[in-house]
Amino acid sequence: MAKLEIQFRLLPRLFVLLLLICAACLQAAPVDLLPSGFRPVPVGVHALVGAKVVVKPGQVLDSATIIIRDGYIERVGKDLTPPSDARVWDVKGLVIYAGFIDPYLTLGAKSAGKEGKKDLELTGGGVKFFGVNPQERDAGAGGPGYEVTRVTPERQVAETFSPDRRTLEGLRELGFTVANVAPGKGILRGTSALVALSGAEPNHSIIKADVFQHVVFDLENRKEDVYPESMMGVVAVVRQSFFDARHYALDQADYREHPAGRIRPTFNPALEALRPAAEKKITVVFEPTDALLEDRAARMAHELNLDFYLVSSGQEWRRPELAKAAGVPFIVPLDFPSLPKMPQEDDWEQVTLDELRTWDWAPENPAVLRNQGLEIAFTTHGLAEKKDFRKNLRLAIDRGLTEDNALAALTTVPARLCGMDKQLGTIEAGKQANLTIVEGQGYFDPEAKVRSVWIDGRFYRIEPPESKEDKEVQAEDEKAEASKAANPEEGDPNKTKAKPETKPPGKVVAKEEKSKADKKEADKERKLAKLKERQKRVARSPLEGRGALTNPPAVLIRNATLWTCGPDGRLEHADLFVQDGKIQKVGRKLFANGSLPGQTLVIEGEGLHITPGLVDCHSHSMILGNVNEATLPSSAMVRIGDVVNSETPNIYDQLAGGLTVANLLHGSANPIGGQNCVIKLRDGATPESLKFEGAPQGIKFALGENVKQSNWGDKNVTRFPQTRMGVQTFMANRFTAAQQYLKTWADFKKAGGPPPRRDLELEALGEIIEGKRLIHCHSYRQDEILMLIRLMERFGVKIGTFQHVLEGYKVADEIAQHGAGASTFADWWAYKFEVYDAIPQNGSLMRERGVLVSFNSDSGDLARRLNLEAAKAVKFGGTSEVEALKFVTFNPAKQLGIDSWVGSLEPGKDADFVIWSKPPLDSSTVCQQTWIEGKKYFDNSLASARAAALTKERKDLLAKAKKLKTLSEGGGDKADSGDNSFFKISLEHLYDGKERHCLDDHE
Amino acid sequence: MTARNAIAWMIMNKSPVKFSTVATAFSRAVIPVLLVVGSLAQSVSAESLLLSNAVVHTISGATLTAGSVLVKDGKIEAVGAQLTAPGVKVIDLQGQHLYPGLIALNSALGLSEIEAVRSTQDTTESGEGYQPDVQSWIAVNPDSEIIPVTRANGITHTEPAPQGGVVAGLSGLIAFDGWTVEQMTVKHPGALHVYWPSMELDTRPKEKFKDESKFKSLEDQAKERQSKLKALDDFFLEARAYAKARTAGNCELNPPWEAMLPVVRGEIPVAVHAHDLRQIKAAVKWAQTNDYKIILEGGRDAWQVADLLAARQIPVVYEATWAPPGRDSDPYEVNFRAPEVLRKAGVKVVFSNGSDSFNTAMAKNLPYAAAQSVAFGLPESDALKGLTLYPAQLLGVAEKLGSIEAGKEATFFVADGSILDIRANVKRMWIAGKEVSLASRHTRFYEKYKNRPLPN
Repeated sequence: MAKLEIQFRLLPRLFVLLLLICAACLQAAPVDLLPSGFRPVPVGVHALVGAKVVVKPGQVLDSATIIIRDGYIERVGKDLTPPSDARVWDVKGLVIYAGFIDPYLTLGAKSAGKEGKKDLELTGGGVKFFGVNPQERDAGAGGPGYEVTRVTPERQVAETFSPDRRTLEGLRELGFTVANVAPGKGILRGTSALVALSGAEPNHSIIKADVFQHVVFDLENRKEDVYPESMMGVVAVVRQSFFDARHYALDQADYREHPAGRIRPTFNPALEALRPAAEKKITVVFEPTDALLEDRAARMAHELNLDFYLVSSGQEWRRPELAKAAGVPFIVPLDFPSLPKMPQEDDWEQVTLDELRTWDWAPENPAVLRNQGLEIAFTTHGLAEKKDFRKNLRLAIDRGLTEDNALAALTTVPARLCGMDKQLGTIEAGKQANLTIVEGQGYFDPEAKVRSVWIDGRFYRIEPPESKEDKEVQAEDEKAEASKAANPEEGDPNKTKAKPETKPPGKVVAKEEKSKADKKEADKERKLAKLKERQKRVARSPLEGRGALTNPPAVLIRNATLWTCGPDGRLEHADLFVQDGKIQKVGRKLFANGSLPGQTLVIEGEGLHITPGLVDCHSHSMILGNVNEATLPSSAMVRIGDVVNSETPNIYDQLAGGLTVANLLHGSANPIGGQNCVIKLRDGATPESLKFEGAPQGIKFALGENVKQSNWGDKNVTRFPQTRMGVQTFMANRFTAAQQYLKTWADFKKAGGPPPRRDLELEALGEIIEGKRLIHCHSYRQDEILMLIRLMERFGVKIGTFQHVLEGYKVADEIAQHGAGASTFADWWAYKFEVYDAIPQNGSLMRERGVLVSFNSDSGDLARRLNLEAAKAVKFGGTSEVEALKFVTFNPAKQLGIDSWVGSLEPGKDADFVIWSKPPLDSSTVCQQTWIEGKKYFDNSLASARAAALTKERKDLLAKAKKLKTLSEGGGDKADSGDNSFFKISLEHLYDGKERHCLDDHE
Repeated sequence: MTARNAIAWMIMNKSPVKFSTVATAFSRAVIPVLLVVGSLAQSVSAESLLLSNAVVHTISGATLTAGSVLVKDGKIEAVGAQLTAPGVKVIDLQGQHLYPGLIALNSALGLSEIEAVRSTQDTTESGEGYQPDVQSWIAVNPDSEIIPVTRANGITHTEPAPQGGVVAGLSGLIAFDGWTVEQMTVKHPGALHVYWPSMELDTRPKEKFKDESKFKSLEDQAKERQSKLKALDDFFLEARAYAKARTAGNCELNPPWEAMLPVVRGEIPVAVHAHDLRQIKAAVKWAQTNDYKIILEGGRDAWQVADLLAARQIPVVYEATWAPPGRDSDPYEVNFRAPEVLRKAGVKVVFSNGSDSFNTAMAKNLPYAAAQSVAFGLPESDALKGLTLYPAQLLGVAEKLGSIEAGKEATFFVADGSILDIRANVKRMWIAGKEVSLASRHTRFYEKYKNRPLPN
């Protein structure tokens, strides 16, 4: 906004003064007399006669009259006689709507970044830890504020708003009369202000301050290494902020009541400012930037008991049911991706199905939201070219949104959302005189021009962009010539050049006119063809072909080799009987006497091998965004459960390798990492329903080179700890703090008084001490393994698992004695110094010394073949095949505390099993089917048909894209702004094709 | 030299050649464990041998179920069903499998020790990107701990490939036996390694760039791409011009152009690294236009142009077995199946784990990439050829390596099962008739800690 202010100042002084005075006069009726020399203020009574008046969506008056008096609508109706003091406007042939309202006007990240007060980093992100970059920790420099830099709920747009003439003109040109201007920077950003787009000075143009509190899951526009840097960190920050706001209010109240005998509470304007939102006095608008995170935002808002709306990511088509479940109005940007200009035909090969789907679905998304019964309000937010707004709106209508719904999304809905439905949104007596006047067929015909808008009873003519059309046509012609000259392959250059020379000079004009008419005709046809092409969606729902393939009431697999991974060991020629999602019976000739329940699916298992579903004790595969909150040395407050990615194709690929359970872990960038999430690979399910119900909570810890930033480059040398010594020091510190935290709460519960602050970091650590949260600790060297064992024993904590634990074989006895599990790699080594002593016999040796051992993947690739990893225990360590298979089934299930449900083929357990073509550890075995809870999720015999359908869909979409491209280019339509908007990154698919390891965020 | 002196000397002399000497001295003084054992040169001297009662995977011919192999002077004298050789030491292999040594093409074995420790990395050179006179085989560390680990799973030879830039340099073929690099080097140069310029467009939207001035339009990128390809093309034409001038005898010696001579003369192939379909198509066209002999390295998308590659007789060193599917609409098993698609079309497929430093430590798992292809349709005999005979052919050493045939080098190993099965173990190994140790850093630590007494 600083930029806007400057522009404002650059206007001629006189004009500014005039504007201010005019605006001031409008407010006061009757009209004041301006001092001499100024242009006098017009009378404020008007009668608009003869237009088609759209009173509100669904209610139209033909040739009606609107009477405006001093800024409000006095009367609306047919056959009204204009009052004698009114200026009469003949508006026959025009369509009048209630003035449009943009509920979420942002001024682009770039200009928004410069908005408001001087930007000072208040802290490095959490005052509670030392050494986090950057070191701006001087509280005096930036004034008071919240401890996380990008939490600034105290910022008010109303405080800094000053209008910019050109921005206002652009919005009025689109028919907007009012906009809610949202702050543009940070996560908890501050409050928006509803403003009239009149150009009056702020005192007069601001309609309402503090309309919404804004929360954006924004990870761009931030300094590096400042908390939070991950989506899960953003969620944690939002939660903590609201808890703090509540606590702040209580604490302050307590102090007011009992000022003596206690320490003065700290002053915090951020928490003060957040209070109205925390107390449901103002609505919170979340912009989660991603369809799955909208679900997360909604769940969080419910947890925090907030009134809220959502800003659409444009991706709700992926999972409409999540939007429906959120159940709140959506503010919907119309920033549809436009087709890219691929330089070569072959370059289209790098366009993914997901990108094509995103492009094809985008215009239908508003209708998708409406069809879920959700209210929508449109915004220009997100549009690089505001001019595309009407074109895209038309596309949305062509793709199923009704014009009434579209109008409501521009008028009544935003008016209501902003709490202004008594004053704005319809053309009814008593309301503000805000009108949008359009010629011809009305607003939804993008060719029909917005002629004028009225704001607060004042007329604003929309200047027709001067002979713009002619210029465009000319430009097109030039462009065509230029492209022909530049690219001789596309046309015969001789012909083009020769043309003007052979033209008889006298007939040029007539001919050109004729060709212009022809061109217009061709243009029309082309546009029609284009419309037809765009109207039909080719993309399928990404949910199609996912979910359970079959769900029979019962399944019997007969005469197979069963690798039970339970007490029965391996059973030859045995049967497995499944019903109601559970394993019922395991044994030989189960239904020899033919008492098989009806509708049982019988699978002849001769020659086949059945194992339990494989369990991966260390995965980063289904996580949205960064797997590390790598900023702070302890990020115990972040939760992988907030960022489960249900949409990644990794799920299918790993099901195809027999995997059914994955332990999704935070990375290893800090000694105390984030909370884990155990999921079942029920492909097609929502993030919440992927979660393994009943699985014990856990947390990631890490030791050694990663956490002391050994391989992060020479820049990272200040965060504590930098040594293995410091790792112990730091952990001891946090556990001591957690002990004190528990005590504080226990005292409060016993003795009452002002409630302590809820601290999400210490809460999680406290749960470890209380035995309610399992530690999964990334570790390599024997000394650090022993360190953690002894340290945790001091705090009475039993470690859940050591992860990687590549020198576990050196201290296997101590691990066994402590009782921790060991989840290791089959044979990774030598990728850094601390794993130079890793040996592939590690798993087997630890097992022989009494440790519960599993093999994990830590890789989207290895997760597709954990059975083959298990085979390495047979090869290197001489472990039997039956025991080795347990490394990827029963043992990890036990380590995760879920062995009462999964991990072996035993009656009563979940019917999670895999059918293999050969013994599971045979290198040439192929996973045939993967079942979870008695439902089949993967079938190799259907895999090629599935892929063929996807390939065909991609081909059809490419054909559509190319055809539209040709049609657009034929007419020189600006289909591509060259900004690669087509490739806007979807978090759900961001990491596909990339391996994800513990340290992904730091190269 | 004391360690302290060594460091001081190292600071003064930054020559990389001297550095290894210094590092050795340094480590002897400070971390002696690195040097205790694990020498490659533990081999027993060559002697005459009769290996009998083995499943002999000759590769070039039929597999003998109870075959014998007679070895003399480091070479295979005879292969047959029931050989006898009076006076020669007989080793009864009791039905175990005998395979020719596996050859790992395109690796960083010997050039990379610990991925994250920069001082142990000799894989990638800097510069403008055209350095054909870089030679990989001279920088191999014979005492790399990775080598014995790799050897213990049947791999007897490797081709360390230089990296960095477009024309990265020349590779050679190294045997995992010998006291020095010179003794280990079997053939040099093996191939010229060319990393085809990326043809992938950076489609990130402008706002995703940290520095928006780095954003380039697709159009501009296409132009840049074109000029990079032109530069590569020109480089080879210039190399030809030099060769011509050299024959005419009127030009000064120029080491980079000199290094290009065997390529220009067609004596060694050009190993073109390319995964993307656009790169592969462009490389094939380039090779055809200029009549260059090329090997395709990487080849993730090669299956899409299998017929084209077959028609041009371009072999593929396939590295993409474990890569995720290239496109989100591809079948999950697309890269598992690709070798069979190529084979069926008539393309020779060789397996490689690639020269990435992480994968270098895992080079021992090379046979399992082939095994995965077998699980998805590739005949086992072709998988084995892709680990032995084909790579030997590609580097022009098939007259002595790659199969068990009379007249070839006695380089083979014994396994207690199929080498394509992870569960099987390599039991013994001979390189050029000398038996080599299968001990490694892994077995040493294993033995040590297996015998750790229970703590009190």
